[in-house]
Amino acid sequence: MALEDICNLRNSCLHQNWLPASPATSFLMTDCYNLGLKGPKKSQRNNEVPLQFFIPPLLNSTSFLNRSPSSYFQGNPPVTVRRPFPLSHGTTTLGFVFQGGVIAAADTRASAGGLVACPEVEKINPIHSHLVVTSSGSGADCMLWERILTREIRLYQLRHKRCLSISGTAKLLSFMLHPFKGTDVCVALTLCGWDKELIYVCSDGARLQGNIFSVGSGSPYAYGVLDRELSWSLSNEEAISLAREAVFRATHRDAYSGNNVDLFHITAQGWHQRKRENLKEEYYRDMKKRGLF
Amino acid sequence: MLQSQGNEVLVTVADDLVTADKNSLSSLTAPPLASSQSVPLPFPMSHGTTTLAFMFQGGVLAAADTRSSCSGLVACPAAQKILPIHSHLVSTTSGTSADCALWKRILARELRLYQLRHGRRLSTGGAAKLLSHMLHPFKGTKLCVAATLCGWDGGEKQSFSGPRLFYVCSDGTRLQGSLFSVGSGSPYAYSILDQGVEWKLTVDEAISIAREAVYRATHRDAYSGNFVDIYHISSKGWTRRSREDLKEEYYREKEKRTKEKRDVAGLDSVCAEK
Repeated sequence: MALEDICNLRNSCLHQNWLPASPATSFLMTDCYNLGLKGPKKSQRNNEVPLQFFIPPLLNSTSFLNRSPSSYFQGNPPVTVRRPFPLSHGTTTLGFVFQGGVIAAADTRASAGGLVACPEVEKINPIHSHLVVTSSGSGADCMLWERILTREIRLYQLRHKRCLSISGTAKLLSFMLHPFKGTDVCVALTLCGWDKELIYVCSDGARLQGNIFSVGSGSPYAYGVLDRELSWSLSNEEAISLAREAVFRATHRDAYSGNNVDLFHITAQGWHQRKRENLKEEYYRDMKKRGLF
Repeated sequence: MLQSQGNEVLVTVADDLVTADKNSLSSLTAPPLASSQSVPLPFPMSHGTTTLAFMFQGGVLAAADTRSSCSGLVACPAAQKILPIHSHLVSTTSGTSADCALWKRILARELRLYQLRHGRRLSTGGAAKLLSHMLHPFKGTKLCVAATLCGWDGGEKQSFSGPRLFYVCSDGTRLQGSLFSVGSGSPYAYSILDQGVEWKLTVDEAISIAREAVYRATHRDAYSGNFVDIYHISSKGWTRRSREDLKEEYYREKEKRTKEKRDVAGLDSVCAEK
């Protein structure tokens, strides 16, 4: 697997501790590190999968292994690379539930300190046909954890022949992130699913269900607009235009949000992505409408 | 520029400010509170309040909440954050309430002295400059004042006649503009104001937008709340609306939303039956 190669797993000792349940499924990313348990607990229903939290190996896999399980939880973070700039969730993402499903919207600016590192990032990524996740925090961490989550969901689907529920997905993600609490992992995801459910999961350990969430430095600006106009009975077009407006207002005032707006609409039939829109046009249209041009 | 007596007062007051601020109970500058230690705040939380002011064809509208907070305690739910300076000038305050109250009085006194000496009112821009220069010696200390001066300039001896809005803060910032919102609740208010404020608003529309903006900010921001004060400054001077409890607004809206949800659910069930 590509991820396996990136994380340099072939050479690490974890490979030897590998407990295969079946040759087809790969446990390479599963840490058979027993977290202090005497032996791996196995559940018959899970096809002999050890009931452990799936922890991917860190950069210095060997030092991770040499540490005893108890010392890991004393809050000694493993050797990490120092951040080149302070993280501040420089983004605007939002999600809300209404009668027509769930809307997820986000801007597309990736900032690194005061630099716009990339003006066309995708902050909303689909996990499967009926689940979409908006990301905020460190771009690298979000990308990694989305991939891990996608993989785990797919594995669950293959093993149990049904899709994991959104609350289950959120719980899984939250437990996977838990070992990294206190480290520099910075991830704040909103899972938007078909069943009109919206769950916010973040690397501090928060896992909240709600009807409306906005995350990031531009979120207060978006909240103002959303609180005003959001109601259950919006039509699809009204909801989409509300989400666009909220992101637009946030990008107008917040320096770390900007460029374009991505919009996803999730219904019982699956997710549907709207064409990306450049907010520069929106700005000029708005100024003209208000007679300020 | 100040008389010698004034200077002495200022020096002693300054000493008191520096020592008293540590024990100041009515301080609004709460330390940044993060929901968890590892996630840094997107912007530093301070000036626990929501005040806003904007210009439009009918003059200037200033609005503010009334919650005075002190690191998580609501020290006073009915504070006054908009303080009139003279008949045509009003200032919204944010920062340390003690500092704001004091400097508002000093500014009012200086403006009155100016009026008596020169026979005309000092313009809003002049008042802003005066306040900014008076605050300058305290730059770098713990003095914390962020005020917007909302006034109407006019009169026979003035060159300019019309509404004016200035933002002055104890860092030394002095900005003229047509829309300002200050405080921890300001981002929430800004997005509402950006949507609705135009030059050609009527007075009623402007009041309703200002109310809505403060209401939304108090809904999301923990340090803003309780009531909303609205002042309107026109050529005739300032007028004050009676204070409104935002709790009523919240329940009214909640009622409306549940009613909407019930209506939609009723429609759905009707369709399902068919």
